[in-house]
Amino acid sequence: MEWETFDHLLIATGAIPACPTVPGAGAVEICGINTLQSGIRLRRIIDDRNAKTAVVVGGGYIGLEMAEAMLRRGMDVSLIDRSPQVMGTLDEDMGQLVSQALLDSGVKLYLEEALTGFETTGGKLTGVSTEKHSLPADVVILGLGVKPNTSLAAAAGIPLGEQGSIRVNQRMETGITGIWAAGDCAETFHLVSRKPFYIALGTVANKQGRVAGVNLGGGYATFPGVMGTAVTKICHLEVARTGLQEKELRKLGFEWVSTVIKSSTKAGYFPGSGEISVKVFAEKGTGRLLGGQIVGMEGSAKRIDTLATALHAGLTVEEMINLDLGYAPPFSPVWDPVVIAAREVIKKL
Amino acid sequence: MAKEKLVVIGGDAAGMSAASQAKRRRRDMEIVVFERSPHTSYSA
Repeated sequence: MEWETFDHLLIATGAIPACPTVPGAGAVEICGINTLQSGIRLRRIIDDRNAKTAVVVGGGYIGLEMAEAMLRRGMDVSLIDRSPQVMGTLDEDMGQLVSQALLDSGVKLYLEEALTGFETTGGKLTGVSTEKHSLPADVVILGLGVKPNTSLAAAAGIPLGEQGSIRVNQRMETGITGIWAAGDCAETFHLVSRKPFYIALGTVANKQGRVAGVNLGGGYATFPGVMGTAVTKICHLEVARTGLQEKELRKLGFEWVSTVIKSSTKAGYFPGSGEISVKVFAEKGTGRLLGGQIVGMEGSAKRIDTLATALHAGLTVEEMINLDLGYAPPFSPVWDPVVIAAREVIKKL
Repeated sequence: MAKEKLVVIGGDAAGMSAASQAKRRRRDMEIVVFERSPHTSYSA
């Protein structure tokens, strides 16, 4: 063993995929995807064994993106999730649109089915069992979420916070002088709920890393927190969310109104225009925007940035109506879909 | 006087963002990054 001394230490150990504790979970064909290396490993297994069937366990961002990747390789793809919907960071009505798109793309969906085990023959994976089904599988992708990789920090006595992530202040200092943390192993703060929060995303990791680096380099920078903004796509469908969703609003005791509108990604008559659904939440009484979700065709997802910016600025939905957003027929209807949603939700306030 | 030294555990998004930022501001700082995999900052 070799020892390295330091004046300052930055812990940036990332996150690790959650692994189910069911029989057969040790088979090599069961892959968590959290690093480039783990992706290369999965690809080798698929190539070497000429894998034809894949089962994805868990319908979050990684699960859905991997389902698409394996469809594109011509594989037979099943996805199981113990909840009644995929994409738990969306409300059920918006998640339903994603489930439908998965079915339309050819993914076999098994919802409200908990994983019970992996079937192996001579150490080789052959299938996945749920409470109701036994599915053949050459490979399995774990999409059960991640947990912060903080066993080293915990062993060193560094204070932990939300979901076992390393507690940091806005300058990314841990509770131990001279030791800093950033990225998927570190805690952050939710700017809408005003509570400590854990989210493992590359955008946050880059920002927290920059802040830590500025401070370590003798400057002064802070990272105030996040809105929980995230985007993804599954085949032709784009998915985006920011702020608080129904279950969070309920848990936090907010009183709110919401609406879902359907519009188009470009002027309705313009070639290539596609459907977009936008859901927004506003606080009863104040009209403050609390969150939003978008599901739709190409050109949908990045519209979440308008909502994320409005949230960051603490705008009310009334204040959003006159936002000077760009319009020409190839880009948007004359009223941007997020503004249409704001106008609709005002009627319920 | 010995150089001030920063040790970073993990050479992906957060670790390398911090290391490069610190080095830009403090050319004299000694920075050591440990990374388990053969890749660093692979999505940058």
